[in-house]
Amino acid sequence: MPDPKMKFLVVDDFSTMRRIVRNLLKELGFVNVDEAEDGVAALQKLNSTSFDFVVTDWNMPNMDGLTLLQTIRATPALKHLPVLMITAEAKRENIIAAAQSGASGYIVKPFTAATLNEKLGKIFEKMPNKAAA
Amino acid sequence: MAKRPIFDESGDSEDLQALFDSIAVESSVPVRPKLEVVPDPGDNDDLQALFDSVSAQAAPKPVPLRDEAQGDSDDLQALFDSVAETLVDVPTEPTMAEPPEHSCDAVFTRIGHMTRQLHDTMRQLGYDRLLQDTANAIPDARQRLSYIATKTEEAASRVLNATDIAKPIQDSLHDRSMLLARRWDKMFGNELSKDEFKRLAEETRGFLKDVPQQTAATNEQLMEIMMAQDFQDLTGQVIKKVVELAQNLESQLLQVLVETIPEARRHEAPEGLMNGPVINSEGRPDVVNSQEQVDDLLESLGF
Repeated sequence: MPDPKMKFLVVDDFSTMRRIVRNLLKELGFVNVDEAEDGVAALQKLNSTSFDFVVTDWNMPNMDGLTLLQTIRATPALKHLPVLMITAEAKRENIIAAAQSGASGYIVKPFTAATLNEKLGKIFEKMPNKAAA
Repeated sequence: MAKRPIFDESGDSEDLQALFDSIAVESSVPVRPKLEVVPDPGDNDDLQALFDSVSAQAAPKPVPLRDEAQGDSDDLQALFDSVAETLVDVPTEPTMAEPPEHSCDAVFTRIGHMTRQLHDTMRQLGYDRLLQDTANAIPDARQRLSYIATKTEEAASRVLNATDIAKPIQDSLHDRSMLLARRWDKMFGNELSKDEFKRLAEETRGFLKDVPQQTAATNEQLMEIMMAQDFQDLTGQVIKKVVELAQNLESQLLQVLVETIPEARRHEAPEGLMNGPVINSEGRPDVVNSQEQVDDLLESLGF
């Protein structure tokens, strides 16, 4: 069982989407959720506080999701973080680029709560220490 | 907000006029005219150098041909003619041409040609007026789109708020009824004392009295959610208008392009990775249509 106190960072430029993801996470028992509106804001938070999981959109101003992902993977203190992409970008090119850049999962919008649950579960399975409740 | 382009009587925008002025060769100047350098924040050093090199070679031939029929202002006409003169003169002039200056020249005169063509055609077809009107309509379109974004965001907020209120009510009904049901199970299993049974009956009665109030509160939120969908009507109308506008503008511009630049020089716009949601995936093999396809693709790549 994943630790319900896991700290999530939800990154999306639309506040509505951030709210929806937050609510879905709450449904799954995760109440420790913070938000950021683009990659730059996200990195500021990631570098100043300790997070356990990042959920991010792709298409955002200032710094897009792919660049955020690549930056996370290139930063020693952050590269271990699971990064789940939730995005409207549906070209094969996108999916491949995300996977090659080290995305932990890829969800395409519009999505269902069930899908989010499933993908989170998959990532949790692969996570080493966080499995302790 | 976009700055409204200012058009003078001849129909040219101020910007266009300034551009023409900056490449104008003064017809009245007798000897070796220098390019009128109009400090244009848009010009960079390369462009300036280009203009300078061309002006150094331009022959001063003041023979403005009046073209009444098209209604061009005299200045404008003089400008075009002087540029045209430059075109004619360049080959015969003993140039101290190093290869770079020659090709700069060629590019410049080519652009001059094309610009003249475009200008003339637009005038003849009356497109300049049309485009002017459409260009003026664009700030309006931006406003409309902002309106749509605002309306939909408000609606989303309303709905999310309503669900935030209704959810705890539902959860409470769920939990309380489950607890009572469990105790009733015990009752039927003869596990409760008489006092416990009495208490259970009272609590159950209390719960049943509560339920209508709770369901009414939830219904209220459902109604709020329903009403929040009213944005659809308003935004739908506005979207229609903007679509029409965009279609008009597109077809007009397309036509202008087609008619003025006959050599089809099409560059594929670089296909990036930020395209937004796919509206119509018909006939697009490069796009996936469902989460299942996403998963399949990732699996096939070994992720």
